[in-house]
Amino acid sequence: MRSDSPLFIPVILGTPRQGRYSEHVARFVTAEVARFPGVETEIVDVRDLSLPVSGAGEDIKDPAFSELCMRADAFVIVAPEYNHGYPGLLKHVLDTNLKEYIHKAVGICGVSAGGFGGTRVIQNMLPVLRELGLVTIFWDGNFSGVQKLFSPDGALLDASYPRRIEKFLKELIWMAKVLRHGRENVPLER
Amino acid sequence: MTMNRDEQAMASSDGRLLCPRCGGRMNLHAEKVDRGADPASADADLDGVLAEFHTCPACKYVLERVALP
Repeated sequence: MRSDSPLFIPVILGTPRQGRYSEHVARFVTAEVARFPGVETEIVDVRDLSLPVSGAGEDIKDPAFSELCMRADAFVIVAPEYNHGYPGLLKHVLDTNLKEYIHKAVGICGVSAGGFGGTRVIQNMLPVLRELGLVTIFWDGNFSGVQKLFSPDGALLDASYPRRIEKFLKELIWMAKVLRHGRENVPLER
Repeated sequence: MTMNRDEQAMASSDGRLLCPRCGGRMNLHAEKVDRGADPASADADLDGVLAEFHTCPACKYVLERVALP
């Protein structure tokens, strides 16, 4: 059984835009994930995935991304709020897999320039993630006023965030462990 | 969603599928209905094609195939 092997929790940076503040968030969160013993992580930048936009869904899988998702036990999605919604490319990327997600945990870090910390993008993502078979947690990361939250070189300027994200990640890791046990050991009733 | 796959795998004596990647005994842990699949092969009660998902504890491979009746 694999249950004693490290968890793998990639962080998906969900926007390709130039000048994105979400990159600072993703790098901060990835560093926080890496602090947990027994957890491996890496950033997945949607900008680096070369998916055609004329196709859709699993017909245009990126093999390396699908393999990474297969290996993952949970995901962190860093999603900026654009006009109250999620970036179109993030949805396009997520839609390229299905079986790779089923019964795996996901936590969302919402990012916004305003004071609500991406709450609306988080709410909009929940039904999408559920349909993909992912299991959401009841902690979120909320990064408000992101343009003031980091220095130009990406240093976090608000000392309250590490503790907030620690709580978020502890819940995600708990869910990841439980779901891995379930995927590997608990059969579906037939 | 694109399901209706038909990945092939051998079964062990206790009915569990054997992972096509490493040979480990897989665990069936989920089913999902694909309502966009070919209506000719749809399950009338479920209004779509039922797919099942098996995970290999040894190598983490996930196998998807149409559920057996």
